[in-house]
Amino acid sequence: MTGAIPRYSALALLRARLSGGGFWSPLWTGRKLKDAYDVVVVGAGGHGLATAYHLARDHGLKVAVLERRLVGYGNVGRNTTIVRSNYLLPENHYFYEDSLRRWETLSKDLNYNVMYSPRGVLDLALSDGDMQDMARRGNAMRLAGIDAELLDLPALERFCPELEPRRQRRFPIFGGMVQRRGGTVRHDAVAWGYARAATAHGVDIIEDCDVQGLRTAAGVATGVETSRGYVKADRVLFATAGHTGMIGTMLGMPLPIETHLLQAMVTEPIKPMVNTVIIYVYPGHGEVYVLQSDKGGLVMGGFLDGFPSYTREGQWSRLENVVEGTVAVLPRAAGVKIVRQWAGTNDMTMDGSPIIDRLRHDNVFLNAGWCYGGFKTIPASGAACATLVATGTAPDLIKPFKLSRFQTGHLLDERGGGPFPVRL
Amino acid sequence: MNRLTCPFCGPRELREFEFHKTLPEPGSSPYARVYERVARLDESTEHWQHVLGCRAWLRVRRNPSTDAVLETTLLGGGAT
Repeated sequence: MTGAIPRYSALALLRARLSGGGFWSPLWTGRKLKDAYDVVVVGAGGHGLATAYHLARDHGLKVAVLERRLVGYGNVGRNTTIVRSNYLLPENHYFYEDSLRRWETLSKDLNYNVMYSPRGVLDLALSDGDMQDMARRGNAMRLAGIDAELLDLPALERFCPELEPRRQRRFPIFGGMVQRRGGTVRHDAVAWGYARAATAHGVDIIEDCDVQGLRTAAGVATGVETSRGYVKADRVLFATAGHTGMIGTMLGMPLPIETHLLQAMVTEPIKPMVNTVIIYVYPGHGEVYVLQSDKGGLVMGGFLDGFPSYTREGQWSRLENVVEGTVAVLPRAAGVKIVRQWAGTNDMTMDGSPIIDRLRHDNVFLNAGWCYGGFKTIPASGAACATLVATGTAPDLIKPFKLSRFQTGHLLDERGGGPFPVRL
Repeated sequence: MNRLTCPFCGPRELREFEFHKTLPEPGSSPYARVYERVARLDESTEHWQHVLGCRAWLRVRRNPSTDAVLETTLLGGGAT
């Protein structure tokens, strides 16, 4: 790492302590917007920052990241921090597995502690059908060399005794599937770590800079119009998550994306109670996932609110569903107070899988459609997307995520639900 | 946005209704009708169904930035 940003180490920490704190300095603020760049990345979220980092580090390009609000204001700071690669389709599980491998070493790569915690991701089966479905998905994963274990009741009891799997419930627990290398990563640290590392490699991160238009000449993009003036760019990448639909509208090209809200909530901190990430579909209530943050709060989330919205306010009925589903499986969580609830805008594609491809022009790129699974893919997406933008050729890993797949019929419909993001 | 007004049943709680999809522009290709979505911050025209009520199909105009409902009409009931 080069530049004015000091490397973190135990020795640096000690030196900072002894010198009274003067060692610490702002990590990415204060950069001036230049007139021209090799690549302009729109959106300083996880995917934009990770791509910028790899563009500068691996390909030596001059990069600016333009952000309308603040670094990490959107979904990278709003998700429930879960990382896993337990997907059914080969196109998906190879890509998500590449990401999980990168999470394992990311703290070292970025010289920033992102607090990767491989506490396991447990899919809970509440019916015999759930068990068969998990066995099928687990087998698909194992054929690809990814770890997955089907747990019967005794094994589940050993893995997560707090669940009391044999307890009498309205919907009894049948078993589960665990991916032990899955777990959690501190989400804010990912945004900050990538922003710091990108800055150290010469990337200019400009906050409070609204991109309002794309300037083109002879069919190629020449730069972007922003609230801080025109910026010339050889290549432009849009990584704007929930507002990707607006990018389509701006370029006069409707996208197969609908924006929906996903909410999450966290309780007051309590003593250690859940040692893993628990995910299940509670009959009649939809999906529920529960984990305990390192601070002690129970973090809970569920399914999409159900209709397109940009308000970032969750529906009360969905919050109720999530809480009822949580208490039904973890009765001891009843009575714990919820201290915060929030929502993020999700760019839902019509097959539930992402889009990393060119957009309309030869030198304009799109990194979007992450639905509700964008956080866990940040490291893989950043590296692969940077290769696409820098070389013009997509690595094999992201070739299936073409925009044209909706036209050619090569959909990646993991859920098998058809072109309706909210239908279960 | 906590309620929708069904033309038959009157104002009802939102959880009685189910969103189906945003409506395509008139004259869109079959591909566009299935896969593409018109994205606007100020207005969205959508198919909904009163699934836990009279099961009528509705056309709802909303502002997705505020979730304010602008208009609810019966689908195929003249105002499509």
